[in-house]
Amino acid sequence: MPRGLWTTTVGSFPKPPNLEKARNQRARGEISADALEKLEREETVKLIRRQEEIGLDILVDGELYRGDMTTYFAELMPGFAISNPVRSYGNRYYRKPIAVGPIRRKEPLTVSWWKFAQEQTSKPIKGMLTGPYTMMDWSFNEHYPSREAMAMDLAEAINEEALALQEAGAKFIQIDEPAVSVRPEELSLAVRALGRATEGLKAKTITHICYGDFDVIYPALLDLPVDMIDLEMANSRYDLLDRFHANPFTKEIGYGVLDVHSHRVETKDEVKAGILRGLEVLKPEQMYVDPDCGLKTRTVDEAFAKLRVMVDAVREVREEKGITA
Amino acid sequence: MQIETTLAGSYPKLPTQPGDANLRVVRNRRDQGKATDQDVAEAILATTRRILAMQERAGVDIPVDGAAAWDDAQTYVARSLGGFQIAGLIRYLDTNTYYRQPEIVGAVSWERPITVEDFRAAQSMSERPVKALLPGPFSLYRFSKDRHYKSPADALRAIGAALAREAQALEKAGARWIHFEEPWIGRVRAEEASLVRAALEPLLAERTARTVIHVPFATPGAVFDAIRDLKWSAIGLDLVESSAAWDILPRVPKERIVALGLIDARNTRLEDPAEVARAVARARSARPDLDFQLSTSASLEYLPADKAELKVSRLVEAARIASRNGG
Repeated sequence: MPRGLWTTTVGSFPKPPNLEKARNQRARGEISADALEKLEREETVKLIRRQEEIGLDILVDGELYRGDMTTYFAELMPGFAISNPVRSYGNRYYRKPIAVGPIRRKEPLTVSWWKFAQEQTSKPIKGMLTGPYTMMDWSFNEHYPSREAMAMDLAEAINEEALALQEAGAKFIQIDEPAVSVRPEELSLAVRALGRATEGLKAKTITHICYGDFDVIYPALLDLPVDMIDLEMANSRYDLLDRFHANPFTKEIGYGVLDVHSHRVETKDEVKAGILRGLEVLKPEQMYVDPDCGLKTRTVDEAFAKLRVMVDAVREVREEKGITA
Repeated sequence: MQIETTLAGSYPKLPTQPGDANLRVVRNRRDQGKATDQDVAEAILATTRRILAMQERAGVDIPVDGAAAWDDAQTYVARSLGGFQIAGLIRYLDTNTYYRQPEIVGAVSWERPITVEDFRAAQSMSERPVKALLPGPFSLYRFSKDRHYKSPADALRAIGAALAREAQALEKAGARWIHFEEPWIGRVRAEEASLVRAALEPLLAERTARTVIHVPFATPGAVFDAIRDLKWSAIGLDLVESSAAWDILPRVPKERIVALGLIDARNTRLEDPAEVARAVARARSARPDLDFQLSTSASLEYLPADKAELKVSRLVEAARIASRNGG
C-alpha cells in the first residue's frame, strides 16, 4: 500500500486577539517582555494542541512570537537596523530590515522556541527559517557592495542556525525562499546561497516559494538544493500542474490546497479535486498537503476551518486511493 | 538650463509627524466598524494634501498626488473598467509588494471616469501642474490574466482604447501631465515590440496633455525602437537598477524629454546630490539637444515615509546643483 499525502502547514498561524493586544501593549511599554513571552508560550501550547486535534501529521510552532518573516531574524542579528513601516499591499505594512554593517549570527534565533514546541508533542515540529536570498532581497542595503555579498553572509548565518536546529533534534528544517520566484536572473545566486545555508544538514530540508512567475523559473526551480519544494497550487487554480506534465516535478512537494488570502473556507470537494489532480502527475509519496502559504493573515477560526477541510479531504482521498500516512 | 524635478508613481501614505492624518489607522478603524467610508475619504484627501505640501516645500516642479486611494498600481483603475474582475494577491515583480491580479473576463471598456475626481481634488491643492497617474496598457495587460481575448493584440487594443478614454477625461479636467507606469516594457523581448507599439500607439496619438512613459526596474532597450516615434513627451528611465538604461539616451528622438531616474526609490541609502548632479551633467553632455527632468527611479512608496521625504530633498538639491552648473 503506498504511503504519502502527509499533512502540514507552511509555518505562520494567526495571532489570537489577546496576543495581538499584548503585543501592542508591549510596543507601548505597558507590559514587560516576560509577560508577553509567557502569553506567547501559552498560546503556542494551545496551537500545538489544536494542530494535533485536527490530525495534522507535521506540526509547526506557529511563529506567534514573530512579526514579519524577515524582521524577526533581522532584529536578532548584528548588522541589521529596522526601518519605519513600508506598505506591502493596501493597508498592510511591515518594517523592513536595513543592512547597515556585516551581518552575523551571534546567538540562536529560533532554537529555544523549537525546543519548547517539540516538548509539547510527539509529532515532529518543523524548524522554520527565512532563506538568505529572501532576507537579502527583502532588506534595504546600506552596507554591502553587492547583493551576492549580502546573500552569502546571510547564508553563513542561517546555516549556523539550521545546524543548531538539527543538533537540537529537528527532523524537518524549512528555509523559506519566497523571493526566488520573482528574479529569475538571480536563481543561480539563490541556489548557491541556499546550498550554503543547507550545508551539513541531514534533516529533511524544505523551501517554500510562492506568488511568482513560474512560467519563467520552472523547471530551473528544481535546482534548489533541498529535498522538498513547497508551492502554492490553489491560488493559481492548479495551473502549475500543466508545467509538471511537460517537466516532471522531481522532488518532494509541499502541495498548497488552501487560498490563504481568501476568507472563504474551501469545500472538501474542491480540495479533494485539487489533490486528485495532483495525483495525476505526482506520486503520493512525493506529496505533503498544506495551505498555499502561511495562515497568519486569516482569523484563527478561518485558519482552523480551512485546515479541518484540508485534513478531511486528505483522509477521504487516502481511503479512496488506498494510501496510508 | 533649468532641470525640472518630478516624482514617479505613488508615494508613502503614512505621516512623518505625530498628529497628522493617518490613513492606515482610519482604514483599520473603518474595517473594525469604528469609522465610516466618509472618514476614509477625508483621510485620503488629508494625505494627498500633505504629500503635495511636502513636495511644494521641497520645491518639486511637477508633483504627484501620491495615489493615496490606490491599494496597488493596477486594481484601482482595472476594477472600474468593464471586462475586468479582480482576483487573488500576487507579488508585484521583485518589489516584495503585492497586487490583486486583474482578470479579463469580458470585452474591456471604459464606463466612467475613474481617477478624474482624485485628480481634480489634488490639482485644487497645488499651484503646480499635478502629474496624473495611470497604469500603462501593456503592463496592465501583462499583470492581468486574460480569460477572454483570443489574441494579446486584441486585448491590448481594447485596454489601450479604454485608457485613452480615461486620459481624455483627465485632460478635460485640466491634466497637463499624464504618467503611464510601464514596468513590463522593460522586461519583454524584441519579439513583443509590435504588441507594445499596438498598446501605446492609439493611446498616445490623441493626447493633448504631455505624456510620460515611465519604465521602472528595467530598461526598455529591446522594444524602444518600436515606440521611439510614438507621440510621447517624456520617457522615464530607471538609471539605478540598470546601467543599460544609459544606452537609451542616444536613441531618444530630438525635442523629447528624458526623466532621469537617478534617485533610488528602492533603497534607503541616501544619494550625494553632487554625485547625482554629475550624472545629470553626463546625460546633458551625451544629448545636449534633449530636455531632462530629474526623477526618482520608481515609486517612492517602496520606502518608509521618513526616508522618502529625505530622498525628495536630495532630488531637488541635486537638480539645483545641476541647473547651477549649466544643467
